[in-house]
Amino acid sequence: MRASGIGRPRQRRAPWLWALLLAGATLGAAEPAPAHHAWSAEYDGNDARELRGVVTRVEWTNPHVRFYVDVEDADGAVTNWDLEMQSANTLRRNGWTREALGVGDEVIVEAYMARDGSTRGNARGNVRLADGRRLFVGEPE
Amino acid sequence: MAAVGICLLPVTASPQAVDPNASATETLPAPRLPDGRPDLSGVWMGGGGIGRLAPGEEMIMTPWAQAIFDYRQDPEGDAANEDPNLYCLPSGVPRMSPYPWRIIQTPTHGPETHVFILFEGNIHSYRQIFMDGREHPEDLDPTWYGHSIGRWEGDTLVVDTIGYNDLFWFSFQGHPHSVELRTIERFTRTGLDTLQWDITIDDPVAYEKPFTVTSQARLMPGEELLEYICQENNTSAGRLRGPAISPGGP
Repeated sequence: MRASGIGRPRQRRAPWLWALLLAGATLGAAEPAPAHHAWSAEYDGNDARELRGVVTRVEWTNPHVRFYVDVEDADGAVTNWDLEMQSANTLRRNGWTREALGVGDEVIVEAYMARDGSTRGNARGNVRLADGRRLFVGEPE
Repeated sequence: MAAVGICLLPVTASPQAVDPNASATETLPAPRLPDGRPDLSGVWMGGGGIGRLAPGEEMIMTPWAQAIFDYRQDPEGDAANEDPNLYCLPSGVPRMSPYPWRIIQTPTHGPETHVFILFEGNIHSYRQIFMDGREHPEDLDPTWYGHSIGRWEGDTLVVDTIGYNDLFWFSFQGHPHSVELRTIERFTRTGLDTLQWDITIDDPVAYEKPFTVTSQARLMPGEELLEYICQENNTSAGRLRGPAISPGGP
């Protein structure tokens, strides 16, 4: 599987891209119908947590874009979280590109927790980067 | 190429006649092919599903179907994992996903032989509707999209489909059906950017009587289908818990 960003340093992005991504927050009105799986059977809509860490991998794929974040707890233990977004197609239409989020990016993201107890989550709202930029991830699918 | 063009767009609508809340294309009529048939072609979004019953309609499951449906709602089970859609298998008819889809009528000049519906997802597949007047074959192997024959009733494309398998679910909740399913779909382009899509579900094994659902798709001007290969990175299978639609979702 080809996953964008693996093993590559984060690339500097053109300023116009950020404008496009912000525009996507309003242009990319998500469809209400779920797409691929029964969302609420996989994630707990009542359990959203904030995660802060460094992106270790991005999979620009269908049916979902996934990105992985190393999160360090108060004791210094690091957990790698597997976070789901919408499909690559939907994000593309919302203004994202596969370069929008890269390995090494420091991010803050809220995620709904997986019901199976794993370190998986569904990203909600905006992915916030260390420099203050926000990438809208759309509504959960 | 001649440098002189002819504007074919309607120019007669006065500003007073335009609803300021309407989309720019909402008031334009549905286009037609050279022989006068409605032109349904284009990239559309939405429509389908069984979520909206037509006025006066009711959906009543048979005991057989109700038992299957109830099993799929068990909060202690994990029946959501049994939905073929989760494994990137086709959604059948009339279930749809929130991805664009395209109608192709061919040929556009002369007697129509086929209408194709191309799906971006989920999955990246197509439906084939025969428009040449043929009947359904006697011996059909059950398939995900069945065998579809179409005809025009005025400006409405009527699609009759049988030969479905019983594998796909009508919905995430798990509404079932049998191989006796027959669908009658009525597609009417009511304006440039609106496609009315009404579907009658007739399955005497699963539902006490036929029922009709109604839906609308909207045109996506300038949009193209993108590749969407669901199998590429499908990691959700087997991870679902409880009924397909469990309480507490956002």
